[in-house]
Formats: sequence, structure tokens, C-alpha cells
Amino acid sequence: MKLDRGILMDPRTKLLILITVTTFALGGAGGEATAKMVPVLCMVPFVLLLTAKRFKTALIGIILFAGSSLLLSSANAHNMGGFLYYMILGCCGLLGRFLPCIMMGRYLMESTTVSEFTAAMKKIHVSDNIIIPLSVMFRFFPTVMDEADSIGSAMKMRGISFGGKHSSKMIEYRLVPLMTCCVNIGEELSAAALTRGLGGKVKRTNICKVGFHFQDYIAIAICIVPWILLIMDVVK
Amino acid sequence: MIKFENVSFNYSKSDDRSVKNINLEIKEGEAVLLCGESGCGKTTLVRMINGLIPHFYEGEMKGQVLVDEMNITSEELYETARKVGSVFQNPRSQFFCVDSTSELAFGPENMGLPEENIKARIERTVESMNIRKLMDRSIFDMSGGEKQKIACASVDTLDPEVCVLDEPSSNLSLEAIDDLKETLKRWKKAGRTIVVAEHRLYWLKDICDRVICLNKGEVVFDMPMKEFRLLREDDHRKYGLRSIEENLSMMPVKEKISFANNIVLENFAYSYKKYDALNIDRLEIPQNEVIAIVGPNGAGKSTFSKCICGLMKGFKGYALIDGKRCRKKELLKKSYMVMQDVNHQLFCETVMEEVTLGMDEENEERVLKVLDELGLSSFAQRHPMSLSGGQKQRVAVASAILSDKDIILFDEPTSGLDFYNMEKVADLIRLLRGSKTVFVVTHDPDLVRRCATMVLSLENGVIANKYTYGEKRENGRKEEKCYTAAV
Amino acid sequence: MDGIMTQNSQKEKLSGKDLINIGIYAAIYLVIMTAVSMLGFIPIMMPMLAVLCPLVGGITMMLFFTKVKKFGMITIITVIIGAFLWVTGMGYWPFIFGIICGVLADLVARSGNYTSKKKAVLSHGIMSITIFGCFLPLYLDINGYFATRTSFGSEYIEALTKIFQPWTAPVIFGCSFVFGILGALLGQHFLKKHFEKAGIV
Repeated sequence: MKLDRGILMDPRTKLLILITVTTFALGGAGGEATAKMVPVLCMVPFVLLLTAKRFKTALIGIILFAGSSLLLSSANAHNMGGFLYYMILGCCGLLGRFLPCIMMGRYLMESTTVSEFTAAMKKIHVSDNIIIPLSVMFRFFPTVMDEADSIGSAMKMRGISFGGKHSSKMIEYRLVPLMTCCVNIGEELSAAALTRGLGGKVKRTNICKVGFHFQDYIAIAICIVPWILLIMDVVK
Repeated sequence: MIKFENVSFNYSKSDDRSVKNINLEIKEGEAVLLCGESGCGKTTLVRMINGLIPHFYEGEMKGQVLVDEMNITSEELYETARKVGSVFQNPRSQFFCVDSTSELAFGPENMGLPEENIKARIERTVESMNIRKLMDRSIFDMSGGEKQKIACASVDTLDPEVCVLDEPSSNLSLEAIDDLKETLKRWKKAGRTIVVAEHRLYWLKDICDRVICLNKGEVVFDMPMKEFRLLREDDHRKYGLRSIEENLSMMPVKEKISFANNIVLENFAYSYKKYDALNIDRLEIPQNEVIAIVGPNGAGKSTFSKCICGLMKGFKGYALIDGKRCRKKELLKKSYMVMQDVNHQLFCETVMEEVTLGMDEENEERVLKVLDELGLSSFAQRHPMSLSGGQKQRVAVASAILSDKDIILFDEPTSGLDFYNMEKVADLIRLLRGSKTVFVVTHDPDLVRRCATMVLSLENGVIANKYTYGEKRENGRKEEKCYTAAV
Repeated sequence: MDGIMTQNSQKEKLSGKDLINIGIYAAIYLVIMTAVSMLGFIPIMMPMLAVLCPLVGGITMMLFFTKVKKFGMITIITVIIGAFLWVTGMGYWPFIFGIICGVLADLVARSGNYTSKKKAVLSHGIMSITIFGCFLPLYLDINGYFATRTSFGSEYIEALTKIFQPWTAPVIFGCSFVFGILGALLGQHFLKKHFEKAGIV
């Protein structure tokens, strides 16, 4: 039942890649110096998704990314103007900037187990005050979705849907039961966790091992290049 | 080992479940059963042993509880956790991690034990509970029984002297209860003190040596199991208890059933990515009867329910109702599921608004009549969420009746209920017989014997058995045994 | 009466229960946010998120605020929300905003002793500014970013700067705050109408 996660990397490396991609591809830092690196960086998330055998996600991502770039350049080439041009520009410009980051985030979330993540956080000395809520949060995501799903089913059986006569109250109908159920489950979860000693004064240990390997060093090396270029650019 | 000294407690939110003047002593290695009707305070006692009262649930407490000379009432929860391990009712909400191995490590990690030690503990627990095949898996993909096993295992890795269990069998199938029983036997053998609060008593008769019954927050009797087993059925009923010699036969009610106007289910098949969850070619079901759907966890009961309610995406089968072919979309209109967590299906601000929500036209007379029949008239202006569990269930049923549904499906309507409340649910279901086709997905033999007129037993996605009262069954495994016991 | 009232005492350090509560509400909040963001999947709709997210989020947050008794809880949840936005590809600005807005929001709520309803509303308004962080990269250094892509031509850059004109920035900023306040009011309305009766407050 174990998930095939492809090349295993330390969560810290993945975070570094994410930071790098968001800084340079989304934020556009570094100007001309790093410009040549940007396309390379944009490709990194897709490659990683492929190694994790997320073919569908990677494919959709690549098609969207390539499609928007193509559309944009052809729109430019034809010297288009007017409203349509702005639409294309708005959509594609946003997609092109955000997509690599979103894909990288997707990869980070899907390829990391919660225990690996907390172990890595621990290694970079993040406080338990952040780690505990984070691990509860990851544990709770599927629960919230499950509950939302059940509530969706219940609404379908009652014939409540968008476009029906109750559409103005949709948000209320959905959110109120969702919150009530989640809060109740959350209460039980807290009780269970506390009876197993969460929140004590002793330092928590972690049995999950994380550490850097060969693949991590390569990834780190790739990430460092644009940062050096950036620094050189600033110094100059 | 455990000592209650003049303990009283009132919850700050409600008057229910409070206890008064409890004085008890439980010896080391003893296994104690706490029983009594819903709201009698047995859960409250359990929460005092594991320290959740007064440290988590707020209220007013007098007296103190000692476990092994440690004052639970004043000690912090994480100190109590070293001595007392807890298993709760709901398997879904008591795991903290996403995968099973981390879950087992969770307790010892909180204690700050060294890594090697934790690994050794996990190894020992895995070995002794025989759960190797559950390791390194996502807990979200497990069945209720498996989740409960992981919950027990994660208590086991902390190696507590006292184990308390709060209605641990509520959501389990008979098979899973057997597994739980084995775990408790092992704990008892290891010399742990065990306290179990339960409604279903039969599985504890060989485990517990002492029975404490509560009523309205006070101890009504405290006797050895041997004596308790000699009590008559009436004595059990008086305190809302289920029988200790529970009859596990899933034999339906003796009623005349007309097969003249059957609902025919065709091609009721559905498969997830890898395996067939449900595979029924053709099945005939008498209309307007009560059909119990039984079977172990993972037999396809919930897939079947979703299909019949038209909730399954990509489901291709159909039902012939009065000769009309109903596919997914029509089924969705014709059927209604009363969910296990009925909070999912209450949307409005008042009961009145709630039950009329799905109605095509306003018809106040009819609404009032239905509310009256279900005993809800006095709650018409209350907020549905403020009602008790049983009342919420009735509101859901009322809304199904008023939106003219033909098929009503109950998903485990009696999990965690005491005898009285179980009987009330049975009455409610019997009320529907004759006007609605009712499906009841359940693990509760008591309920089946009280209201079902036909039983469908599912196994591995196929109908292993289908019978009415007195019909001979062919390949029932466990049922065969119970059946002979019942006749 | 000599009974022990077990109301949690005002210890300054966050307890296990507090930390779990943060996690639970963060999960609910983010799932709802993600669902709302799906509406904004058409990129041009994205600015609408600055309106919708604070508005719908207010319902969850007001329920969360009823559990807040100590300093730090609001800060942490805002930082987590910021970090989540960052990790899902919205850039690091929401994270930075999350830290600043979180602390400010927490201070405001504390000045009302975590019981004042008005302060809770204001606090949520400040918190909601975090979402503005998502939009910031669109305004920062827009010329620098596209200057490198000379192949697109100057017309392109001109057009793009037209869409993301600097004056829209304060509008989005203002929207996130104002709708944060409105969301909080909506949340308090729901508290009274539903959650108090359901017994989960």
C-alpha cells in the first residue's frame, strides 16, 4: 500500500527548491542576470513530478504552461490588441508565473509524509508551537474533505443545489454542518492526543530519519546558481 | 490501583452525565465493566481516570481520583498519560498521525523516549498484537476495526498500568469485536488494570471480573461478574442494559411478506481502482419491507448504500421500481439515507424549516401530522443541532417522509446506543414498514431481530445470504452457529 | 463551595489543547479557502479572492476566536495560513505578511482580552490582509521581470502594466481588510444563529 514516491529527497531540499522557484520564477528577482535560469527553474517541478510518477499532474501542468506561453507569444507576434488581448495576457501571464510554483507546491505536498516533514522542521529548529499545529492540520485535511463530501451527498439527497430555490443559502447549508462536524471530531481528536501525553514539558523525539543524499546535493547545487547570480548582480 | 474519593462532577455545558458521591476502589489487575443507560455517567468516570476530567472537559469537580497513589485530579495530563492509556469510541477521530507506524510512535515520542527504545516498543507491540500487515500504511485507508486495532496498539506502546476503554465496540462489526476481545485478554494477562465502559456487554463476559452499574450518576450495584451473569433479563432492562448473554442471531421478525411487487436491482456492481467493491447481477427485494444489510467491515455495505441512494459517481446499474427503470439520477430522487453522523444532514435553523426544506409544496397539516407521529411536535421551533442524537435521527426521517422518498436507508442507526434507545430506533423503523422500503445497514443483532423482515448478508461484494424468518441458510459461517443458538 | 472550578487558568504558555485547536481550525479554514479559490481558477477572477476568502473565512475564524484565550494562537494560525499559501505556490510574500498581520491581529485581540467582539472583528480584518501578499509579486518589479523577455515586445509589457496598474494594489489591499471585517460580522451572526445552539462554542 506504500506510495511510490520516486526519488526521495530531504524535505529541506524540497523547500529550498520551492523558495528558489518562487523567488525567481514568480517574483522575478535578479533581473537579466538570472533570466536564463528561469526557464530551467520552471522545468524543475515538472521533472520532479515525473520522477514521482505523477504523470497526469505533470502532463496537465506542462500542457498548461507550454500552451499559455505559446498563446502569449503568438498573440504578441500578431500584434493583437483590444480586450481579447488583455484577456489572454492576464490569464497566460498569471498562469506562466504561478504554475511552476503551484506544481512545485503540489510535488512537495504529495511526496512528503507528515512524519518526514515534522522531522525536517525539527532539524531546522522550528518550535513545537508550529510543528504540532502543522501536523494536526495535515492529519485533519482528509477528515475535513470526508465530512464535506458526506454533507455534499446529504444535500444532493435533499435536492439542494446551485440553481435550486435555496441557492442563496448554499454557503450556510454547507458550512454550518461542516463546521459543527469538524469541531466535534476535533474535540475527540484533542482528547485522544492529550491522553497520549501531547503537550508535556519533555522534548519530543522523532523516529523518522531525514538527511541529505546525493540527489539532494545536486538539487541544492542547481538552486544555488541563481542566488549567486543575484548576489553578484547586487554587488555589481 | 484506582481510587475515587467522594467524587462529584457537573459539566459546565449540560446537566446530563454528571456524577455524585462516587467512592470506588479498583484493585491492580482487575478488569471492571462500567455499564448503565446513556447519560448515566459511565463515560464521565472513565474521563476522570484518564484525567480528561477536569483537565479537558470543563465543569465543577469535587473530591479526587487517585491512580497508583498519583492524584489524577491535580496532576497534568501528560503525566497521567504515562500510567493510563485510553481507547475511545470513534475509530475515526482518535488517531493523530496519518500513517500507522508514526501513530504507534506518537505516545513514546511525546514522552521524549530515545529513538531506539521507541523502535523496540513498536516491535514488541506489533509482534504481540499481530499487526505486522497494518504497519506503514495510511490509517485513512483502514476499516473501522483496523483503526481500532491501531488505537489499541498505540496505547500498548506506552505500556500503561491502567487501560480505560470508552465504548470501544460501538462502531465495530462482530468480527472486529472478537479481535478487540483478544487484545483485552492479552492486556489482562499482562497484569494491566482494565476499565471498560460499554453498552454491548456480551463480549466482556469472559474478560471482566467485576461489574459496576450506574444510574443517574450514582452506583446502583457493584458485583462480581459471576453474580451479574445470574441476573435475569428483567434486571438488565431495568437499568437499560443489553443482555450479557446477547443473542447474536440475525434472524428477522416473523411477518408475512408479499413478494408480489418486488424492486429488482440489476447490475449493482462497482469497482474501485483495484478491486470489485460490489458485484451483484440481479437482486429482488420486496417493496415496503425492512431489509437489514449485514456483513463484516469491507464487505461492500457502504458501496451498496451509496449505489441505492444514487450517490455513487459512475455507477451504471439500475433498479426496477413498479416496472419503471430508475438509474442513478432517479434513485437520488427516490431515496434518502439517514447517515451515521446525522449532523451531516441538518441544515436549517429550526426543525420546522428543516423538515419542509425538500417539500414541493407547503402543506402544514401534513407536516404537523408527521412531526406528531415521530414525537417531534414540541421541538418544531428548536434548532435541530440542539437536539439529542435520537431526536436528530427522527428529524432526518421526518424530512425523508415529507419529501416523499420511497426508499429510506439507515446507516448503522444504533451504534453506541443503550437498550432503550435501540428499541426506540427499532420502533421508528417498524413505523415505516408498509409505506416505505427501508434498508438498515447494521452490526446490531438486537436491532435486526426487532425490526427487519428480511436479511441480506454481504460478503466480498456479493450476496452471501438472503433470508426471511425461518428460512434455512446455506453458507452462513458465523450465522449458522448463532442460528442454532437462537432456535 | 469548595469545589474546584476547572476553567482553564490563564497560563501564558500554549497548552497541547490550544496547539491542536490551531491545527484543526487551520485545516478547516484552508480547505474552505481552497474550495473558494477554485472559483477563482479563471486567473482573471483572481482579484475576487481578496473579497471572497476573507468573507467566507470569517465564519471559521470567529468560531476559532471563541477558543482563543492566550497570546500566540492567532499569530500561529495566521503564520500557518501564510506558509500554506507560500508552499502552494503563491510566493513568499503571504508568509511575510502572515507574520506581521498575525502579530498585529493577536495584539488587537489581546487588547480586548480575547473577549471583546469588536476587537475580534478588527483583528480578523487585519488578519485578512495576509491574502494581499499573494498579489504583491504582480506589482513588484513588473518591468524588471518582463524586461528580460524582450522577445515579447514593449507592447506586451505596456499592456501588462496596464492590467496590474499600481492603483489596483491599494484597492485589493483595502478589499481584503474591509471584507475581513464583513466576514467577521457574518461569522458572529452565524455563531449566534447556529453554533451556540449546536453547543460547539
